[in-house]
Amino acid sequence: MGIPATAIVLAEFYEQEKEKALHEGMPEVRTQWIQGPVWAKTREEMRRDVMEGNNPLTGRPVMQEIVEKLTKPLTAEEKRTGEIKRDRGPETYTGTREELNKLFLEKRFTDFLPIVLPTPERVNEMLMGTSHDPDEVVGKMSPTNTGQYFEFWTFTVRDVAVNAVMAGCKPEYMPVLLAILSPDPRTGISKEAISVSDNGFTGAVVINGNIRDEIGLNYDVGAVGPYAHANTNIGRAWSLASINLGNCGKPGTTYMGVIGNPMNLINIVIAENEEKSPFKPFSVRKGFEKGENVVSLFEGWGILSAANWKVNRWGTEMDYPQIAKDIFAQQGMFTPTAVLSPPIANFIKARFDTIEEFVNWAVPAGPSFFPGFAKTKPKPDAAGDEPDAGRTAPKTPPMFTFPKANIIVTGASNNNYWSVGGLSYSRSVRIDDWR
Amino acid sequence: MKKLISVAVIAVFCLGFFCCDQAPKEQEQAAPAEEEMTVLTPLGHPPSITLKPMAPRLDTLEGKTVYIVDNIYPGSDLLLTEMAAWFEREMPKTKAIYKRKNAMMGGFEGEDPTLWAEIKEKADAVIIGLGH
Repeated sequence: MGIPATAIVLAEFYEQEKEKALHEGMPEVRTQWIQGPVWAKTREEMRRDVMEGNNPLTGRPVMQEIVEKLTKPLTAEEKRTGEIKRDRGPETYTGTREELNKLFLEKRFTDFLPIVLPTPERVNEMLMGTSHDPDEVVGKMSPTNTGQYFEFWTFTVRDVAVNAVMAGCKPEYMPVLLAILSPDPRTGISKEAISVSDNGFTGAVVINGNIRDEIGLNYDVGAVGPYAHANTNIGRAWSLASINLGNCGKPGTTYMGVIGNPMNLINIVIAENEEKSPFKPFSVRKGFEKGENVVSLFEGWGILSAANWKVNRWGTEMDYPQIAKDIFAQQGMFTPTAVLSPPIANFIKARFDTIEEFVNWAVPAGPSFFPGFAKTKPKPDAAGDEPDAGRTAPKTPPMFTFPKANIIVTGASNNNYWSVGGLSYSRSVRIDDWR
Repeated sequence: MKKLISVAVIAVFCLGFFCCDQAPKEQEQAAPAEEEMTVLTPLGHPPSITLKPMAPRLDTLEGKTVYIVDNIYPGSDLLLTEMAAWFEREMPKTKAIYKRKNAMMGGFEGEDPTLWAEIKEKADAVIIGLGH
């Protein structure tokens, strides 16, 4: 616009914003740093501690710096134009096993667990798992799936194979991994497993079709646990690929989860137990043929045993549909998602013919909201927090409309347990397109 | 008899200790020097960066209009309305206008083309927040 500006950003995001500013072509952009967080502060706290406080990085008054940032003449560096050419550095590294493992750790190419070193021989063997050209560009990825905060990095089939080797994958996992990393046809963007968000999201996939048995995915006892080679290594490869092909997972810049999420290591890889489920497979409900090999992508908080909720009453008479309905009512932001064991699915089937019928009953109609977008309500007990005549009552617009619920069936029948959480579905991909 | 057993146990222990101590050294000596290997980079391809100059600064804010734009992150409204009040109090010759972004889709990441057009037409400077 050609209008001088300054953006106010929490000092805790300094490293991230410096990287973002560089990517945007304004490495010296004049940002005003303040002490965070500001969310849930009272008006008085905001005035006293933030606005009339000091920049925590420079120790100087915030408002004085803001005025200077809009009036102090630009330096030569701030006026600089041109292009910074970048590449990914050396195509290969040579050393002993110990040296290379150390180098991969130092360069943060890993998730800090031991890796399989990606020699050309191992990568070529991995590439046997797909007929796609190793130099074919698969997609582009950033630590946010919109790319709003960070630039996109592009990657090829070979790049995916390198990360698959590092994770410990077998060549036959490649079509699944490539399908997960394939771009959304609506946006051209591939889905990262590890989000930059300070919320701490995790990635999740649901796999349907005959490939479940072909590559040994577990959908019986411990289905969502880590002790199955295919589930774990596909999930880990998605995260390693996100780190190396999308610049994800770097605490302080591209991984800002306040608490973090342990599921970022291997994600949630669910193969549906289609054989024991009384309902149509998830992929069939999304329009694919039964038996067709499909991977469906999700993102959210993750899942937790339904037994954690008080409404999951323990007794001899259990009304599982009602319990699910009560728990769903407690979910927010992401779509309520139930991962049902076959016995629980059968309890629901006894009352509802289809998943759609159950979901329509269990989840009241209406969109979900992200409540944080509402204006701050004055706190009656907060000093100096009087109603603002210029502001209307908080009214949250319908930002997003989510699907009502996701229902997935997997696991064993050794007890009536199931899990629930918040996971939003994005899309389903045909795996065989990547064979 | 007990003494004999004790001596035998100690002797066996010492022999075992001696052997255990020697075995790793022998294995170490027998192991070949580790060979070098070549591996592929696991990284994707970052794009080039086009540097953009910043907008020229103002000589002074006196007599100027500053738009204070709330990007609707929680708490931004309190901070930025306080900021507008600060300008009114401390720099009365500067006209500070608080504006709340109207981004129905996309939330704090979303665009508000109407507001951007208004800023282009009427603002001399912009303060925007919060980048949480």
